Amino acid sequence: MIGSLAFAAPWLLAGLLALPVLWWLLRAVPPAPGRRAFPGVRLLLGLEDPEKMPERTPWWLLALRMLALAAAILAFAGPVLNPRPRAGEGPLVVLFDGGWGDAPDWAGRMARAGAALDEAARAGRPAAVLSMAQPVPPGETPPFRAAGDWTERLAGFAPRGWGPDRNAWAEWFRAAEGDFETLWITDGVSDGAEAALGAALIRHGAVTMVAPPDAALALTPPRLEAGALTVTALRAGAGAARPVGVAAIGPDPNGVERTLGTGSGAFAEGADTAEIALDLPAELRNRVARIALTERRSAAGVALADDSVRRRKVGLMSGAAPGEAQDLADPLHYLRQALSPFAEVIEAPLAETLNAAPDVLILADVGALNPAEEQELGDWVKRGGLLIRFAGPRLAQSGVGQAEEDPLLPVRLRAGGRSVGGAMSWGAPRRLRPFPEASPFAGLPVPDEVRISSQVMAQPDPDLPNRVLATLEDGTPLVTGHALGDGRVVLFHVTANADWSNLPLSGLFVRMLERLTQSAGGLATSAEAVAGSVWTPSQVLNGFGDLEPPSLVAGVPGERLIAERPSRAMPPGIYASADRRVAVNVMRAGDRLAPLTGLPAGIRIETIAQPPEIRLGPWLLAAALLLLTLDVLATLRVSGRLGRLRARGGAAAAAALLAAALTLPGQGARAEGGIPAYPGRPDRIERAQGYGAPGYGDGYGGGYRDPGFGPRPAPGPGASADDKARYAATETVLAYVRSGDGRVDEISAAGLRGISEALYERTAIEPAEPVGVDLEADEIAMYPLLYWPITEGQPSLSDAAYSRLNDYLRFGGMILFDTRDADLGASMGATTPNGRVLRRIATRLDIPPLEPMPEDHVLTRTFYLLRDFPGRWANNPVWVESSPEAEQVEGMPFRNLNDGVTPVVIGGNDWAAAWAIRPDGSAMFPVGRGVAGERQREMALRFGINLVMYVMTGNYKSDQVHVPALLDRLGQ
Amino acid sequence: MSQPLLRGRMKPQGPVGLRRDAEKVAGALPPLLAEAEVLAATVAMGVHGRRRAGHGENFWQYRQAVPGDARSMVDWRRSGRSDQQFIREMEWEAAQTVSFWVDDALSMDYRGSDDALARSKAERGRLLALALSVLLISGGERVALMGTAAQQPRGGRTQLNKMALALAGAEREDRPDYGAPPPDRLPRGGRAIFFSDFLGDLDAYLPALGHAADQGVRGCFVQVLDETEETFPFDGRVVFESMGGETEFETQRARALREAYVRRLAEQRARIDDLARGLGWRVLRHLTSQPPRTALLWLYMAVGERI
Repeated sequence: MIGSLAFAAPWLLAGLLALPVLWWLLRAVPPAPGRRAFPGVRLLLGLEDPEKMPERTPWWLLALRMLALAAAILAFAGPVLNPRPRAGEGPLVVLFDGGWGDAPDWAGRMARAGAALDEAARAGRPAAVLSMAQPVPPGETPPFRAAGDWTERLAGFAPRGWGPDRNAWAEWFRAAEGDFETLWITDGVSDGAEAALGAALIRHGAVTMVAPPDAALALTPPRLEAGALTVTALRAGAGAARPVGVAAIGPDPNGVERTLGTGSGAFAEGADTAEIALDLPAELRNRVARIALTERRSAAGVALADDSVRRRKVGLMSGAAPGEAQDLADPLHYLRQALSPFAEVIEAPLAETLNAAPDVLILADVGALNPAEEQELGDWVKRGGLLIRFAGPRLAQSGVGQAEEDPLLPVRLRAGGRSVGGAMSWGAPRRLRPFPEASPFAGLPVPDEVRISSQVMAQPDPDLPNRVLATLEDGTPLVTGHALGDGRVVLFHVTANADWSNLPLSGLFVRMLERLTQSAGGLATSAEAVAGSVWTPSQVLNGFGDLEPPSLVAGVPGERLIAERPSRAMPPGIYASADRRVAVNVMRAGDRLAPLTGLPAGIRIETIAQPPEIRLGPWLLAAALLLLTLDVLATLRVSGRLGRLRARGGAAAAAALLAAALTLPGQGARAEGGIPAYPGRPDRIERAQGYGAPGYGDGYGGGYRDPGFGPRPAPGPGASADDKARYAATETVLAYVRSGDGRVDEISAAGLRGISEALYERTAIEPAEPVGVDLEADEIAMYPLLYWPITEGQPSLSDAAYSRLNDYLRFGGMILFDTRDADLGASMGATTPNGRVLRRIATRLDIPPLEPMPEDHVLTRTFYLLRDFPGRWANNPVWVESSPEAEQVEGMPFRNLNDGVTPVVIGGNDWAAAWAIRPDGSAMFPVGRGVAGERQREMALRFGINLVMYVMTGNYKSDQVHVPALLDRLGQ
Repeated sequence: MSQPLLRGRMKPQGPVGLRRDAEKVAGALPPLLAEAEVLAATVAMGVHGRRRAGHGENFWQYRQAVPGDARSMVDWRRSGRSDQQFIREMEWEAAQTVSFWVDDALSMDYRGSDDALARSKAERGRLLALALSVLLISGGERVALMGTAAQQPRGGRTQLNKMALALAGAEREDRPDYGAPPPDRLPRGGRAIFFSDFLGDLDAYLPALGHAADQGVRGCFVQVLDETEETFPFDGRVVFESMGGETEFETQRARALREAYVRRLAEQRARIDDLARGLGWRVLRHLTSQPPRTALLWLYMAVGERI
């Protein structure tokens, strides 16, 4: 083996030694000169050759021949690029880590495992495929069976959301019996047990470890840091510097999941963590449901956000009667302004507010509450609510919490308050002291201009210092708080308006409220909060980092939810208990990833991304043949016979070149000629004539028609809505839905142009240039037919667009859905990506029950008589609105459809591509092969004509069954 | 058809040989003669007088008898109508003798192209000679084909057939690579037209030309060449050999010799021109790729010129 090149028959290479001999032989035999009878030879006698050539083969010809021979020798020696190591003996164990770390290169892992199994199957070796994310198998030997069986089952393996349990497997392998070779396809992430596992495996036989090409990446749960959503990206092993990007995903205002923001960071060289801050506006940040890596996706690369970063619901209540106060004096005004950017504000009577399950309730200057309210409020706080109270004249006068501690106030208050800096006081208004470390406000900058002039005073109880969250510079508590049950009560000792202080006017106020609001509900994930209830998964992450509905997962006690790592019994995902939700992420805050270490010596290591095995022999042989062909030509040239060959029409040379071309694999088939031009006007003989009645299209417009079409050019994409509407309303215009994919749109436009031209030529319908519509922006009511090619990148539609579409369908429009994948099949979508997209779109559309087009559907006879409806693809069912049962009318099957034209036609035949023409009228894409293909294209055009006729005339043709009766009556 | 003409060594006689030769001749003669006649028909036909008094059958002019005229020459019928005596002069209709030589050496068999329509130099020479003969005989001249059975100058159809037979008949077996005019006697004051490629040694022509000069014979050299002989379109390593294989020349790169060859050819032509100038002859260069008609017209005019 030389590097990654190996030879199947290396001894043949000895033939290369013979090359020098050949060199000598070939040099000795120059190419034979051509003999020519020539009467003018007498005139030549005595002439000297100006260019003396040795009587030998020219060196380049010689080199050519040697090269050809060397190539042939090399070819027969069977060179293989990137050869797979030869298989060993005995049973084979393919061992997957099977956890989230396998997800990024899963296809490569499957391919590698498949190749190993194929090889084992060829060698007749038994094999076992095991995933360490699964529990260890029973018994003491791996479940060996024929390798071919495993090849079939391989597709059933998928990476799990949790990590492999190498410890248990190491134990099991240590106890296992028998010798076997192991192919360990690892994710490269250490869990501390890999050394033990490696040692256990190598006791049974050779071990090959297949490592991923790139280090695994993971994300820690998001946290709020200085207002920015921050995640830590982890990687297994500190390598070179590497950029890493994350995307924050969440529902948009319409409830459609979108990428709300992206962030990027970079691993410094030698670092295995990278901090990525997503600087999102508060509104967006509150919508973030999860943060995912943009590359090397896996379950660990998705950080689910739970309540800790969720948008909070805040209830507001004021003691003042509403409407009395002016805006700026309204105690709630400042709160509303401060909260609305990052929280959902509820203003309602207390009972209703509590029914809405707010996270935070703010009572601004509310004095006494009635006992029932007090009870409800207390219960709510104990369940985890955050009650924020602001002081004020009413609270001060109510005397609440002065005599004894009120559960809904954090501290006892002194009667009356204090006022500083007023006309009647000596002191100046007080400023704030920087926040203490333990305070939720720690770190917020304290602006100089904030002055407190009045406040209520806390009784200096022994536990007061523990309850102080913020103080004035003289040490007077300004904000106090204490826990109550699972929740907390916080009191601002000033008013929520600017009466007592200018705190509500400052930015600090907003940020303090934000901190407080965010801290609400954060309690829910603490161990105490979670403990004691059973949590059931509502969505779980699969190994690839996609959320799925859970299956067969039991509820998990709250204690385990916090304490344990995700495992088979507790897959990562979102767990719910009552109305609380907790995210269980693969990674925890502070986690690190490490590469595998301490593997025993003797383990062979290769990477997944090994280039495939390439046999070079055929190519070398082809090259040798080509060189020999060149040699023929060159020899002819040297002996001066090439010119004569050319003069004879080059037949021999052409044959030689053809032979050369055929030796190049895969080149011959192309030369069959391009796409035949559109075959012009087809004969009209086969036009359907209904039931013998005159054809619809024949009677009209029999005179001369311009070959061009459409008197007016279509308005461009930049045209105003009015222009577009006027155009669509004055002309017959076919429209397609812009998919956002430029190529698809181009094909749609060309396809509709093609069908429009065919309609113009053959029927009385004279459509104008087709237009593309943007469902979000354009009015679609004027278009008789919308062609909608489904793409994977189809964006979700807004509610407005859906309602427009539903109106369109309800009032006589028709949409032709085309998944363009030819695989609609009997399962009607869902099997192909486009089918899934179609399903997603269609769920919100008002589509009646569908059925595959029945044979007697009107579409089969609106203009042409058709049996099937091919586009570029054929033989796929086309779905239309299911029709009522056919009844027999005057001996004919007749469906009483009341002109209900099916609002949708769904298929996957890629009609636009079959219809598409270039500006010069030639077909854009080949359809099928040869004449049959052109026939298929013609059928596709006929389907299009029938469809537009159907749209235009409704069930006119269906009425033809009455013709005998009508004629009968006329006769009388 | 007369007895087929045999040249060179005697061919086997008897019924078999006779029949074979007859078939050969009958097969070869009509096309050549027919082609020659078609070609000749494109040139103006008709007996042409000498446009001056002389021996002949047609009246030319009356002239007054001058002293010294023989009395028997007086035309008494004309003289009886006047006082003077007239002598009736006839137009000089002495037939011109034109001797042809068509080189039949191997070199004339060459044709540079494998095209079925391409003609060898010999074929073109024969065609031109016979066509000119057709014209001359219909003009009343006498023609002869040197070195063959038709070497006696005669007129009439018989001579034409004889010439056709000689030209289209079986070829000699011991033909040399390059030809030379045969040492036939040329009639005094006659004309001679030599068809050859003149690629051989020109010295071989000198005896015949000396004899022609002695006899006061004027004429034309028609150098018939193949196009490839003029352009030399060869390349690569080639061994050139003469048609009979007597001479060989090998080159490594034929293309490089082209200029030298063309120069040599020009020198050869210059020698022919010199030779012709010395004799007062004219030279026509003809390529087999050119249409024969222009050459025929040129020759016809050249032969008809006053001497």
